[in-house]
Amino acid sequence: MNKKFNSETRFRCICLAILLLFTAICIAPFLLMFSASVTEEQALIRDGYKFWPETLSFDTYRYLWAKRETIFRAYMISVFVTLVGTVTNVIITSLFGYPLSRKDFKYRNVFAFLIFFTMLFNGGMTASYIIWTRTFHIKNTIWALLLPNYLMGGMNVLMVRNYYTASIPDSILEAARVDGASEMTIYTKILVPLSKPVMITIALFAGIAYWNDWTNGLYYISDSKLYSINVYLNNLMNNIQLLTQQSTLTEGANLAGMDLPSVGVRMAIAMIAVLPVMIIFPFIQGQLVKGVVIGGVKG
Amino acid sequence: MAGAVKKKKKTKRVSYVPLILMMLPGLVYLAVNNYLPMFGITIAFKNLDFQKGILASEWCGLQNFEYLFKTKDAFIMIRNTLCYNLVFIFGGLVASLAIAVMMTEISKMKIARFIQPAICFPNMVSIIIVAYLVYAFLGSDGFVNNTILGGEGISWYRESKYWPFILTIVHFWKGAGYGAIIYIASISGIDKGLYEAAKLDGASKMQQVFKITLPIIKPMIILMLLMSIGRIFNSDFGLFLQVPMNSGVLYETTQTIDTYVYRALMERNDVSMSSAASVFQAVLGFMLVMASNLVVRKVDADSALF
Repeated sequence: MNKKFNSETRFRCICLAILLLFTAICIAPFLLMFSASVTEEQALIRDGYKFWPETLSFDTYRYLWAKRETIFRAYMISVFVTLVGTVTNVIITSLFGYPLSRKDFKYRNVFAFLIFFTMLFNGGMTASYIIWTRTFHIKNTIWALLLPNYLMGGMNVLMVRNYYTASIPDSILEAARVDGASEMTIYTKILVPLSKPVMITIALFAGIAYWNDWTNGLYYISDSKLYSINVYLNNLMNNIQLLTQQSTLTEGANLAGMDLPSVGVRMAIAMIAVLPVMIIFPFIQGQLVKGVVIGGVKG
Repeated sequence: MAGAVKKKKKTKRVSYVPLILMMLPGLVYLAVNNYLPMFGITIAFKNLDFQKGILASEWCGLQNFEYLFKTKDAFIMIRNTLCYNLVFIFGGLVASLAIAVMMTEISKMKIARFIQPAICFPNMVSIIIVAYLVYAFLGSDGFVNNTILGGEGISWYRESKYWPFILTIVHFWKGAGYGAIIYIASISGIDKGLYEAAKLDGASKMQQVFKITLPIIKPMIILMLLMSIGRIFNSDFGLFLQVPMNSGVLYETTQTIDTYVYRALMERNDVSMSSAASVFQAVLGFMLVMASNLVVRKVDADSALF
């Protein structure tokens, strides 16, 4: 008996050790990034990245403050797109999900199929790009960051529908209808308050997708005034990459003339881009886990 | 009696107009974002001339596909997409299952509440940030060259042979913890009594994992496997474009169908090649999803998508 107990404890300890190691691996790169952003520029060039900065300096963040015009503009665009996109997404998705859950709605399966089919088949990126740019002309407008891809997802619609079907009793809806409530009243007064958990889950998925998005910016935005923070970071990286490639081709190319942020500054910008996710994530992760489980098991 | 019939009739006659009006924003969005591009597939079979527009451009049959498959790019991108996905699918399965079993084991400890979010976190940040992190490690003055190799220095971004390993590590670093969530949930649904009984019979922990846990969650494992096999022609666009910093010398090992579609369209302005590749991906992907669903239905009808 005693031996059994020991082997179980040992197994548990091994599990814990491996998981702690993996946790450290998951977090370490972020620490390295943070450390690089507060290391003195010369030390960073001389000694490279270190987990523990030898000479502390907040010049990078001061530089960001001086450059707040461009960087905070990008930041604000990210905030704006995330808020507007998420709210619109939740409204459209839940409005679409409700009729699908109504058993007395004869055509609900037709519409459910319409949404389901989009999860199986798509026209491909090239066709989307041409339609959005040639037919709807969203290139270099704020719409380009809001509309393509993220406004309503098939998975979320089906999740909402399943939630309504499973947890809102028909009798409540029936009673409201007998009292003469319109469909819109039923939706705003009964469904929305009752379906808060699923709405929050969808909002989280949509919010993270919008905040982290860079593909729409990559395809549709070339005007630097409309860069979101991730698009801004992406372009920064591309410019640096381009210059280092050129500088190796033509010896001693004049890099100094370009106003390129230093390594530390780049890491500082990346740092402020992950910060909101880092702050919010511990609070939302429980809800998110529930969403993954519901969405993953039955789409 | 008559009143009841009348009442029933009255409630039965629900007007569909308000319901359809509620769905209208979503329907418009589906039409624009999803269905119009499906018709855009025709672009792949045409000699697109923007002067004439998509509809009036001339048909050219399968010519675009012929050109595409004559290039070396076609072989490279399909090989890369499939090989990476195979490694990601099966490696990811093992990694996520292992994490799920271990997380279940320590779920009663307080520290689990810290570990769980921490290992999911990398999946929450954008791939651009991940590319910056990788650069901090592999850049010319990065952590690896400077601190681990002591200034010896490997030009990671110029040597394609390292990238299969780098991308695989990055993929698992980012996704393994998040992928475990679904298995943690299914393991937590297993009856604890089974383990108690096994313990009394003297089964070791490993035996419990292989004889109880895995067989019970097998349907879930098969389902997840088949679903990912259905997406085997799709790749994580960001991982393959951003993490290698869109570096041209690395195409040999980093080009996938998604990055090819992007590069052909945006960097070379070659709409016909780009659309041929993207239609190839969409159609094959569709067939695979249908096929895998057929298999799922045979294995476990309840888990089938349709």
